[in-house]
Amino acid sequence: MSSKYSVATTGPKIEEFLRNLLACAGFDVSFTIEPGDTSNPDFETPDLTVKFSGEDVELLLANRAELLLSLELVTQEMLRMHSDDHSRISFDANDYRALRIEELRLSALAAAERVKATGSPFRFNPMNSRERRVIHIALRNEHEVRSESTGSGPQRGVIVYPAGMPSLPESAAALARFERRGGRRR
Amino acid sequence: MKQLIEDIAKALVDVPDEVSVKTLEGEQTTVLELKVAPGDLGKVIGKQGRTARSIRTILGAAGMKLNRRFTLEILE
Repeated sequence: MSSKYSVATTGPKIEEFLRNLLACAGFDVSFTIEPGDTSNPDFETPDLTVKFSGEDVELLLANRAELLLSLELVTQEMLRMHSDDHSRISFDANDYRALRIEELRLSALAAAERVKATGSPFRFNPMNSRERRVIHIALRNEHEVRSESTGSGPQRGVIVYPAGMPSLPESAAALARFERRGGRRR
Repeated sequence: MKQLIEDIAKALVDVPDEVSVKTLEGEQTTVLELKVAPGDLGKVIGKQGRTARSIRTILGAAGMKLNRRFTLEILE
């Protein structure tokens, strides 16, 4: 994949937008814009990485990096990036992205083991498209299970099936999730 | 906060001149009313409301630092 975004061309636009935004919001962080981190080439190869540090990094990373990802999205929208291209620019702090990928990869493998052992599908909590992609890629070489995304909007999530099992209809897929939590059917 | 919302919105829309933000101070909460050109509504709301949700997250975190609740209303 060739680079569409570089520190030289896109960097200054991000810099200006973010610097002003962070000052207005009163977030006590600084950032650097660097060529993309390619230490996880199987999963993500961004063109650019924006790395944050400072006092308020914990605020950025709270609730599964909700604020970090919000800053990333408005920046991508400011740049008029097509959503297919969003993985080309990655916001990061304290190696959150790499750790999260590893966490997702291990969860995917654990889910695969469980599906093989029980023969029942397993549904993950909803996650965004980049995180769903990590699950799918992590299970690429698993032949006894398959993964598929289900649900829509913020509720979209991955479900892992035994390889031969047909997909559940959306409503039943939601129940698979309910049962996993050990709740009672209503 | 008004400035924050105004600047983010102006960066997202095609017609920045039509962005305006009104502040309504309540006892517990400050409401920020964002108005954009009708053609730009989608730009500040985003697919399935993702952009609006992100702006609200940023506003909420900024408000937390000031110990005040802010809510964003996008006027249609």
